[in-house]
Amino acid sequence: MKKILRMLSVQLWAALGDLLVIGKTGKKKPVYIYIGALVFIIVLSAVSYYYSYMLGTGLKMLDSLELLPAIIFTAACFATLITTVFKVKGTVFGFRDYDLLMSLPVSTASVIACRLIILYCFNFMFTFILMLPMMIAYGRLASPGTDFYIMSLLLIFFAPLIPQVLASVIGTFIAYLASKFRHSNLLNIIFSISIVFLFVGLQFVLNGESEKLASLGQIITQQLYRLYPPARLYTRAVTGGDWVYFLLFIAISIAAFAVYTFIVKLLFKKINTLLMTARARADFKLGELKTASPIKALYIRELKRYFSSSIYVLNTAIGIVMLTVMSVAGLFVDIDAMLGGEQALELLKNNLALCLVFFIMLSCTTMASISLEGKSFWIIKSLPVAPMKVFYSKIAVNLTVCLPALLDVVLLGIIFRLSMGGIILLLLIAAAASLLIAMYGLIINLMLPNFSWTAPVVAVKQSASTMVTIFSGFAFVALYFLFASLLPSELLANLGYLIFLLLVDLTLYIILKGYGIKRFNAL
Amino acid sequence: MLKITNFSKCYQKGIRAVDSLSLEVKSGDVFGFIGHNGAGKTTTLKAIAGIMAFDEGDIEIDNISIRKDPVACKQRMAYIPDNPDLYEHLTGIAYLNFIGDIYQVDKAERTELIKEYADAFELTGNLGDVIGSYSHGMKQKLAIISALIHKPKLFILDEPFVGLDPKAAYTLKTIMAKVCSEGGAIFFSTHVLEVAQKLCNKIAIIKNGRLVAHGSTAEVIGDSNLEEVFLELIEEKLS
Repeated sequence: MKKILRMLSVQLWAALGDLLVIGKTGKKKPVYIYIGALVFIIVLSAVSYYYSYMLGTGLKMLDSLELLPAIIFTAACFATLITTVFKVKGTVFGFRDYDLLMSLPVSTASVIACRLIILYCFNFMFTFILMLPMMIAYGRLASPGTDFYIMSLLLIFFAPLIPQVLASVIGTFIAYLASKFRHSNLLNIIFSISIVFLFVGLQFVLNGESEKLASLGQIITQQLYRLYPPARLYTRAVTGGDWVYFLLFIAISIAAFAVYTFIVKLLFKKINTLLMTARARADFKLGELKTASPIKALYIRELKRYFSSSIYVLNTAIGIVMLTVMSVAGLFVDIDAMLGGEQALELLKNNLALCLVFFIMLSCTTMASISLEGKSFWIIKSLPVAPMKVFYSKIAVNLTVCLPALLDVVLLGIIFRLSMGGIILLLLIAAAASLLIAMYGLIINLMLPNFSWTAPVVAVKQSASTMVTIFSGFAFVALYFLFASLLPSELLANLGYLIFLLLVDLTLYIILKGYGIKRFNAL
Repeated sequence: MLKITNFSKCYQKGIRAVDSLSLEVKSGDVFGFIGHNGAGKTTTLKAIAGIMAFDEGDIEIDNISIRKDPVACKQRMAYIPDNPDLYEHLTGIAYLNFIGDIYQVDKAERTELIKEYADAFELTGNLGDVIGSYSHGMKQKLAIISALIHKPKLFILDEPFVGLDPKAAYTLKTIMAKVCSEGGAIFFSTHVLEVAQKLCNKIAIIKNGRLVAHGSTAEVIGDSNLEEVFLELIEEKLS
């Protein structure tokens, strides 16, 4: 037990260190990053509370306030499930320090326990930030008894278990299947995106059946229970004050986790060996080589780096993929009926630029591109290429990822019957926003690099650079409201916003040419 | 070929990793750079390679300052670190081709050189596999091949023999001799003093960031051998 705790503390600190790291390992981290992390948690909790309270107020009007805990619980579980699917490879299986840990004089079970607890800790933190504010919001709206607080507080600790088990099974299955093929990463990406769409699709299927049910409360309840059956136990326990369901939920969660741990123990070495043994053929014959210019070679290198990490692709392309799927689907479905009337349609039509920029801001590849150079950073620094060329190659990959957004604009133009001028304006906004997020992410990553990651997931999802880029990037989206409220028409708002984006682009370019190069050379 | 003048590098809290180091590597030199762990060898090599910014002094490659025109300097040299962390997701051939593209090596010449050196290091069969599947020695061989295919004038090598099998080490020594006989120069760090004594025509010994001896191998070792001289110098400085 002492060994497990010691290993756990080292690995947990390493993981947290990855999250908060600035510059090289061992360098003293500035205080502002810790303050920033604290502010981030407080803001997220406040947003979560606000969302819960507003949702609860709405549900109260429909006489269905008891659904609030179930909705937030299911949302937290689904968020845990989807994010954990992509984390399994790199955390439980196929992690970099596998060889080192397995060579230590500790049992395999201890190593597994550590990995699972680390994964649980991250999932717990996430669940806690969502569920605790909900508990307070529900408490204010429903004034429940003490049982509610005791049960819901205790269940926060058990809530991540089932989604973690499900996600681990799905994630391991995807990683296992993908490892059977030569282009395993590509398959991993396809499988994982399919899983996300399967969940989204499932909700649409359930929506379709909902009309048969009598009241809105009943509809939501049925959907939640079908979507995630443990939500039934949870709701009965916390809102019904039923201690039997409370214990049943805990028992099922623990049992599922125990079975899963047992299976992992059986397969741990086998799966890790399989995932970490790269396919070597040793039968290469030198043929004709394809040559490219230095800038093209840098771009190809960057593109290969991008597609070599499924977590990198999934984290940065999902927004554009979703936008594209929705745009294509929009051609074949009755948008009027789907949105429920002309008013909603008009609202969406007037805010297309906002939606577009939102999805583009989610698609930042550059925010991790410097960090992902990792220990190979010496290569690019020792090559005879100017830093700006390296930057261009990274920006070009980001623009490539955002490229489908231009096609989406055309499709949206057809769907919403926009004028040619409107379409061109949106195309320019999409291009300017893509350039903006590419340069912005790159500058942030130059400021907050992390070369000491143990798995790409750390650089891509859990680093200070990605957090800062994503959350501050939304400020650029939010600024659209300023133009929409200040300018009299949608056309003028879009035009004003485009000019703003172009000015920011220019500023970022100047920063990149000055500070960016200096920073790159100093790293 | 390589001229280092009063080079100094400070880390945090003003600790000098290298202090006023000056030396010159001429065309045809195999220059050994020797020192204990943490003496400042890697710091010096990284600064020469243009990887690490430095505080004082200057480093010139072919009379071009690395501070003023790093790209031109890098075009003339190749650097191999002590731990060859390469792009694990690329195949060996994709990596070599990438290096060939960056240095704009002609297609026919590139193919010929890759074949020559990959055969010499017995790596041809593995060039189609991802670098992630390579052993440390194979990565080291690939890094060496990548340095050779663009025919640099100056090689900066940090512990180049670590991880190489005896045959590959012999091949590398032969290539090093050939490079220098053709007018190139090699500046490399090593802990293997026998190799340094046999291979190098010049040697520099660094201790706590300062040069304690440098010159032709014959001058430095005199009637003794390099191991004895090295230990004597280190202990002398300690006492």
